[in-house]
Amino acid sequence: MEQGIATVAPAVIAAWTLVAVGLSALAVLVYVAIYGRTSPGDLENAVQAFRSLDIEAFRNLVDSDEEAFLRDHLPPGKFREIKRQRAWAAFIYSWEAGRAATALAKVGQAAQRSPNPGIAASGVQLSESAFRLRLQTIPACLHLLDAVLLPGRQTRSLPPLVDQYERASETLFRIGRFSSAGQELARSESA
Amino acid sequence: MLAIGWHLVLSAISWHEVLSAMIAISWHMVLFLFLWISPHVLLGVLAVILYRRRLHREFPCFFALVLYEIAVFVPLFALSLLPRAAGGGWGYAYAYYATPMLRIALRFGVIDEVSKDLFRESRFLKVAARRSLQCVTGLLIAVGVLLAMFAPGDNSIKWIAGVSVVNRGAAMVQCGLLLSLLLFSRFLGLSWRRLAFGITLGLGASASVDLAIYALRAEFISQRWTEFLNLLSTGTDLVCVLIWIGYVLAPEHTPASPTVFPDDEVNTWNRELQQLLRQ
Repeated sequence: MEQGIATVAPAVIAAWTLVAVGLSALAVLVYVAIYGRTSPGDLENAVQAFRSLDIEAFRNLVDSDEEAFLRDHLPPGKFREIKRQRAWAAFIYSWEAGRAATALAKVGQAAQRSPNPGIAASGVQLSESAFRLRLQTIPACLHLLDAVLLPGRQTRSLPPLVDQYERASETLFRIGRFSSAGQELARSESA
Repeated sequence: MLAIGWHLVLSAISWHEVLSAMIAISWHMVLFLFLWISPHVLLGVLAVILYRRRLHREFPCFFALVLYEIAVFVPLFALSLLPRAAGGGWGYAYAYYATPMLRIALRFGVIDEVSKDLFRESRFLKVAARRSLQCVTGLLIAVGVLLAMFAPGDNSIKWIAGVSVVNRGAAMVQCGLLLSLLLFSRFLGLSWRRLAFGITLGLGASASVDLAIYALRAEFISQRWTEFLNLLSTGTDLVCVLIWIGYVLAPEHTPASPTVFPDDEVNTWNRELQQLLRQ
């Protein structure tokens, strides 16, 4: 009998685990259905997301030369403590950059549907940059979490993330310029 | 033996109780028939709407799935009406368990269609996101195969258990893929078209309930479980079809283009970015 229980039990446990997985998936779907699809791009959110990021500060936080300087001039214990704090701050920057990228992607996709060909083209470019930036934040965040957990290891630099951020912001700037120009043009035509 | 047993039971209880029991049985039957027939009638309505709005060209696999469900229902319903002596019981069972293979293939086709629709506007995502989805699919298939090996089901009728395990694995992969699509789109800020979102939602609900049902069906075969799972399955089908019809009929929401933003907002935006670029 004990042998029977031993062979049946894992299969029954597996069945009920799958029931729990199925119901959890259903709960996620209900949540998504209630809170709807991705909301349309909000320019103000994108501005706020960008305002919260100081790209130079982020660059300093992940700079390998700066890290080497601290390693040479601080006792090992203090260095690890400082390194952990710096990595955590950089992680928060990366996280926020990712959120800003999502906001940018929404603005970019809305711009793609503009009747103005200039804005539409910039929208394509912006959303592509934003998608790349968003995907790059995943390895960057993992890399920085690794630095938080193991501060003794030497950190590699993170240039692609910073470059991507700058490229996205330049495109966004172009969209803003196109937008202003379009409105000025519309105003002059109506006058 | 069984007939004697029933005779003793019937003589011991009053006619009123027998009548109540019959009403209860017929209500159960009526509910089951309603939940089984109505989704297929509504699928017919959905097929007509899809065809008239030319949406069958945009989602051909989804349209084929709708037609397939209707086409399969007609012979299955006819077989269910046949008496057991005329081959109704086993004939129905064989037909029922023979149909899922094409359904599974069509559902994967629908998932491919909605993912293509989701990534339609980005050349970069067409490559990167689809590669990620392929990895997710590979992972889910591996989990499904491992589950089939280590939890093959305890159903006394082996081929029913086998089909249930295949269905369970397919439901798990489909459910995982649809959830990945939804979470991925939220993560990247991708905008869904209304119908693609509705198809994903309906198919996701169906796949997640199927996962639970087939997991239970592979293990339990008692009459009570079978009746309960049949009601749950048909009820879910009805909900899914209603979701699809709702999303087909709802108007498409077009997000506002940035051209409509007021001047001062754009100027603030420019000022912010100039500051950022000067830093």
